[in-house]
Amino acid sequence: MSATLTFWVVVVAVGALNYLSRLSFIALFARVQMPSLVARALRYVPAAMLTSIIVPAVALPGAGPSDPVLGNARLAAALVAAAVAWRTRSTSATIVVGMAVLWLAQWLLRAAA
Amino acid sequence: MRDMSPPLIGLLPFGLVCGVAAQALGVSAWGVLGMSAIIFSGAAQIVAAQLIAAHAPVAVIVLTCFVVGLRLMMYSAAMAPHLKPLSARWRHLLAYVLTDQAFAATIRRFGTSGDPYAGASYFLGTGVLLWTTWQASNLAGYWLGNVLPAAWSLDFVVPLCFLGLLVPALEDRPTRAAALAAGVAVIALDPLPMRLSLICAGLIGIATGLAMEGRGKR
Repeated sequence: MSATLTFWVVVVAVGALNYLSRLSFIALFARVQMPSLVARALRYVPAAMLTSIIVPAVALPGAGPSDPVLGNARLAAALVAAAVAWRTRSTSATIVVGMAVLWLAQWLLRAAA
Repeated sequence: MRDMSPPLIGLLPFGLVCGVAAQALGVSAWGVLGMSAIIFSGAAQIVAAQLIAAHAPVAVIVLTCFVVGLRLMMYSAAMAPHLKPLSARWRHLLAYVLTDQAFAATIRRFGTSGDPYAGASYFLGTGVLLWTTWQASNLAGYWLGNVLPAAWSLDFVVPLCFLGLLVPALEDRPTRAAALAAGVAVIALDPLPMRLSLICAGLIGIATGLAMEGRGKR
């Protein structure tokens, strides 16, 4: 298979499967009644899934550049940002403070190293 | 529009990173746009680009991206009751714009008002804005991504945005237990292939939330 053809086969196949995943339960539960256990479980989807996405991006070196300076800076920035999110309930403030702490921590750790 | 700015800010650097990854494959601007429009998922696009670059077999690439995208099924289930009053055509359209960001930004909106269409129109508006930003940032990544210094760590905006959406969702003991269990599980299960840790940790978190809920009532 040529490189271009491989690329487009992957794009179309992944796109189709992603779309079916997105549609799956929206289509199913429009027709059948949702079991009550599932309905209760849905309440925990945001807490469980958002945490599963955030934690590796912050804590696992493989997710970002595998540099201890950067790793520690990310952890510090995430902890401060979580406190800001808790106090302000503002996502914008969380992002701004988190990035500011990340840059400051990177600069301090590099200066110390 | 104001509440949408954090997810949009979070999406820009993520889209840039995806555009850079696609550009590294040597595809045209149409290729980048086709990828971002057809797949419309940053995680799947990055994984696909990395595996294509590594010359992995097509079946492996497609399967891996499918597993990475399994969380979309959970979002689909969580959105389902809210989209039920809509026509099939609208449900099919809204399913296309269902992403991590659209889900996280919209799910709290449902249920707060009695009008079933209010939440759905908010979801549609959110989805269209995110979609447009996504295509633009992917193209921008294709053209100027290599100019941005990696030391700026702009990709960190993505977890920060999700953190800002997560913290208000931790409203009681069961939700906090769900997050804690998912966080521990995702680290413990990290060695699993195909990023299965993501979906497994999500399921473990949900089960923990349900278990804590039962204990709180008794």
